[in-house]
Amino acid sequence: MEHFQKLMPFSVVMIPLIVAFMLAIFARWKREFCAYIAIAAVAYGFYISYLLTLRVMAGEVIHYAVSGWIAPWGIELVIDELGAMMLLLLTGCSLVILLFSMKSLHKEIPEQATGWYYTLYLLTLSAMIGMVITNDLFNLYVMVEVTGLGACGLVVAKGEKLSTEASLRYLLLATLGSGFLLFAIGFLYQVTGNLNISYVAAELVQVREQYPFLMWATMSFITVGLGVKAALFPLHIWLPDAHSSAPSSSSAILSGLVVKVYIVSMLRIYFLVFGFEVFHESYMRYLILLLASMAILGGSLFAFVQLNLKRRLAYSTVAQIGYIFLGFSLGTSWGIVAALLHIIIHAFMKICLFLSAGAIYYQTGRKKVTHFSGLGYQMPVTMAAFTVAALSMVGIPLFGGFITKYGLAMGSLEANNPYFIILIVLSGLLNAAYYFPIVWQAYFTSSHNVKLEFDKVPVTMLIPIVIMALGILYMGIFPSGTLDFLERAVSRMIL
Amino acid sequence: MELSRLLLNYPYFISIILFCLGCLCILTQHNLVKKVIGINIMETSIFLFFIAVGNIDGGVAPIYDPALPADVIYINPLTSTLMLTGIVVSFSVTAFALAIIVKLYQFYGTIYAQDIMRMR
Amino acid sequence: MDDYITKIVFRYILLVILLYGFYIVLHGHLSPGGGFAGGMVLGMGLLLYFLIFGFEKKAKLRRLPLDVATVLIVIGGMIEGVKFLLPKEATGQVGAPGTLFSVGIITVVNFGIGLLVASTILSIFYLLVEGEF
Repeated sequence: MEHFQKLMPFSVVMIPLIVAFMLAIFARWKREFCAYIAIAAVAYGFYISYLLTLRVMAGEVIHYAVSGWIAPWGIELVIDELGAMMLLLLTGCSLVILLFSMKSLHKEIPEQATGWYYTLYLLTLSAMIGMVITNDLFNLYVMVEVTGLGACGLVVAKGEKLSTEASLRYLLLATLGSGFLLFAIGFLYQVTGNLNISYVAAELVQVREQYPFLMWATMSFITVGLGVKAALFPLHIWLPDAHSSAPSSSSAILSGLVVKVYIVSMLRIYFLVFGFEVFHESYMRYLILLLASMAILGGSLFAFVQLNLKRRLAYSTVAQIGYIFLGFSLGTSWGIVAALLHIIIHAFMKICLFLSAGAIYYQTGRKKVTHFSGLGYQMPVTMAAFTVAALSMVGIPLFGGFITKYGLAMGSLEANNPYFIILIVLSGLLNAAYYFPIVWQAYFTSSHNVKLEFDKVPVTMLIPIVIMALGILYMGIFPSGTLDFLERAVSRMIL
Repeated sequence: MELSRLLLNYPYFISIILFCLGCLCILTQHNLVKKVIGINIMETSIFLFFIAVGNIDGGVAPIYDPALPADVIYINPLTSTLMLTGIVVSFSVTAFALAIIVKLYQFYGTIYAQDIMRMR
Repeated sequence: MDDYITKIVFRYILLVILLYGFYIVLHGHLSPGGGFAGGMVLGMGLLLYFLIFGFEKKAKLRRLPLDVATVLIVIGGMIEGVKFLLPKEATGQVGAPGTLFSVGIITVVNFGIGLLVASTILSIFYLLVEGEF
């Protein structure tokens, strides 16, 4: 038992990975059981993450040396507050999406591919978990690459023209990005002679002054490399195609979780390797601030003109990623807390919206936002959850989105930069302009003789949507516990 | 003095040039297979960079041999092993990209990006 | 590829390629190389064989490499997980430098990795040719 407790951080990465490869054989003869095995593996991961989070909440930082090789030589896994939060978010949300995909997959991807789909899903999940808890730069690169490949596989699983093409573009740009990241890691290794993040940081303090140009190059390579994958504004061109043409459960995990883990890695490299002060004084911060502002406006404007619902949601993701980048480049503690909180809340909102879009497609086959009239009476539960998520996107009080907007506003006041409040309000209005017509159409423009009926989708597809909507409401009404936890995470990073 | 430093560290210089060529190849070529070749050039340049970081002038291969004198300098084996992992990653990316290109060829009958864009 | 010259020449080259591949696999702990590089050479040799002499006619045999690959991943994962990845004290005998059979499990693991890489290459090739799984 004691041995098991020591192994917990390792098993949360390893169990989904092993199960992923076992499912590849298992899919040969019992394809219909694959979903249950995958759910069992992810549920195990969720339980372990919950136990680990309890330990972290009690004030412990969990270190684990893989295969007994201690820190500067071996790979080290570290679970601090940020890692624990991401662990819980990743495993919990992907469990919910898996539940949804059990029934929805059969309508969206070819029948013989459903077994392999779970292999890709678990592979992506375990690589993401590894990425948020690893403390080793090269291991980070490998996990980034595996996540990229798995995410491309999730897009291409549909086997249609558009998704295949979008997936190739995603793969090419993601490989370009990871090439930049690997080059930056090479620079850091050359200067410091270490790959462990803590040791690199300790060495870098001493040699930073000697290599000003190298520091510049490293910072910009990391911004480009992880920025391509996290869809920072001018580098987002792959995102709308890939996220809108994928199956709806893939869209949910890609939009809700995959782009976030890259931001978390970027945050870690900036704040833990370079140090908060270096980031705060560098020009890179102003560049990211500018690009994030452009993302918020540009993403919203692009979303405004899209008529396909999933495409509109995908462009909305570009804008919301802008919020997260804005928060962490403001460089104040409120801003970073708001960015981390938005990672959670945006995951809830986007998963809820994409799963609702999938459920609407499942029942009615409608994709265009102009064809939704009367849907509020045909699918009351789904549309209620959709409305909750839309209200949260706009930033109405009592919903989750309001808390992050408030936090960002406080952050920009702390940074003596009140212009960003105008930007946040403007973007809230733009969000209202492209979400409210959908809701309005669904409830108020129906012909008179419609009668209220229950949704005709399987109940395993309704439960995930409702869970996500309840999550948004919970975060909106009782945010204080999460905020305290995130403040502890931030105070560990900004010393 | 700057030029002599550049000449002394020529592997880094070459790897940067190769990296830029690979990026250019990915971003500007219309032929999808050439884009994949661009990926390979780019990754190979990074491998060259890492191995140049690990190299020491006058060092021998890091294989323990009792016949060698005790003060012999071994080169850093860590970067080479890291690049073995990098080669595996690059190989799998190439295989995956080629598989997608085969699929695209079945759909559209061409592997030129601008033709595919026109046919959408 | 129905070419007389390639067939005759390749009949002699194949043995050299396979022998070299096995050499690299078995000497993985003594010299540069090892399971991955040797497996790559082995896989490429078999790939050339199939390109020149034609594919297997039976679908079941064609699927064999993929099955072998997945089974080897699982077995390798278990061996690695038990023997290598768990935290442990540095015990066990230390091999003598320069001798082939003195390292115990490492030769076996290397051999497994070599077979795995070779079969993975073959199965990727088949997947590309057939287009389905």
